[in-house]
Amino acid sequence: MAIPLNIDWQQILLHVFNFVILAGGLYFLLYSPVKKFMAKRDEQYRKMDSDANEKLASASALEQQAKERLDHVEDEIMEKRVKAEAELDKYSAAQMQEANAKAEKIIADAKKTAAEERQTILNGADREILNITKTLAAKMMHANTDAAYEQFLDIAERDAQNDK
Amino acid sequence: MSKKRKIISLAVWLSLVFASLIGVFLTDGMENSESVREIMRDAVLHESNKISLFGLLEVNPAVISAFTVTGILLVFALIVRIFVIPKFKRIPGRFQMLLEELVRFFDGLAKSNSPHRNAFLGAYIFAAGVYIFVGTIFELFGVQAVTTHGYPMALPAPLSDINAAIALGCMSYLAILSGGIAANGIKGVGKTLKEFSLPISMSFRLFGALLSGLLVTELVYYYSTLSFVLPVVVAVLFTLLHALIQTYVLTMLTSLFYGEVSEVHAPKPKKNKANAKAN
Repeated sequence: MAIPLNIDWQQILLHVFNFVILAGGLYFLLYSPVKKFMAKRDEQYRKMDSDANEKLASASALEQQAKERLDHVEDEIMEKRVKAEAELDKYSAAQMQEANAKAEKIIADAKKTAAEERQTILNGADREILNITKTLAAKMMHANTDAAYEQFLDIAERDAQNDK
Repeated sequence: MSKKRKIISLAVWLSLVFASLIGVFLTDGMENSESVREIMRDAVLHESNKISLFGLLEVNPAVISAFTVTGILLVFALIVRIFVIPKFKRIPGRFQMLLEELVRFFDGLAKSNSPHRNAFLGAYIFAAGVYIFVGTIFELFGVQAVTTHGYPMALPAPLSDINAAIALGCMSYLAILSGGIAANGIKGVGKTLKEFSLPISMSFRLFGALLSGLLVTELVYYYSTLSFVLPVVVAVLFTLLHALIQTYVLTMLTSLFYGEVSEVHAPKPKKNKANAKAN
């Protein structure tokens, strides 16, 4: 039977043969390797993405931790400040007490020294007064003796003159 | 793909190659009526201009075009496979991007139209698309061949021959049928056979579109007054547009029908007669 339009089964099969070879060749040489490469790269990017997401999650957890810690740091600082102030007060009170004790000791020592010095001075003054008194007495005695001697000398001189 | 599946695919492919080759030789001697050939124009039917295929057969020039296109594409693919693909980078260069975009386009077309089964479909429409596009562009180069009568002639686009268009249309139909069988078994065959006009429509659409371009170009070239400047526009317009449009149309239709027949439907719930009676 004549087939219209110059349709030839042999040539159709030749075209089929040609196309099957082409399709197989293109699949094994081009389509499959390129698709495999793209799939591999997609997998790489997916892995990178998941790694990045994991890192992001851990970073945000760390950030959260740091934020919480920062929130507590205020209280911690306040607590430590109060503690430090209390310790400082205690230390300064102790220092003050020690200073007072030292000052009292210094005053007591000074008073004692002053009393001793006063006593020493008083003792010295007594001795001096005694000495002065003795000296005065001696001087008074000398004065009387001198006057009597002078008087005697005067008298003697006058007698001598008179004898002349 | 597992090793077993690879071996099966390779065996199927090889059997297709050999089956079609055997068919070529078995059908040798079946000739068409000469009286019809006399009526049809040679440009359309390739009636008188035959070319010898390795001295074995006398074939239409489109067969030689098809083999030439296949040879060019396979050599190109081999060169790319050996020298380019092993040097692919994570951040692609221009050529790598072109190849990736080509593969991604057909793969995406297959996936979007046939979400259930698309591995074979992607490979098929990739090959069909590349073949139609390059085959159509091929006529622009005007590759010369010598006919059996000793006249030189420019090789036409493979698909401007009705036989090539029928071959591609039928193969697309068979691809769709294989998808239907793989997904739904006998039901898939029924679904595919419902679209019995598909191979005819696909074949004649391809043939008509490419032939119209060829005829218009032939007409323009026929008149010497129109042979200046205009052919550049007309040839580029018809060839490039047809190349792009027909590539898109055939791959789109194939993937669309493939997706439709390979869609797995949930079984209909059985009516409970006892419950129906009670109600």
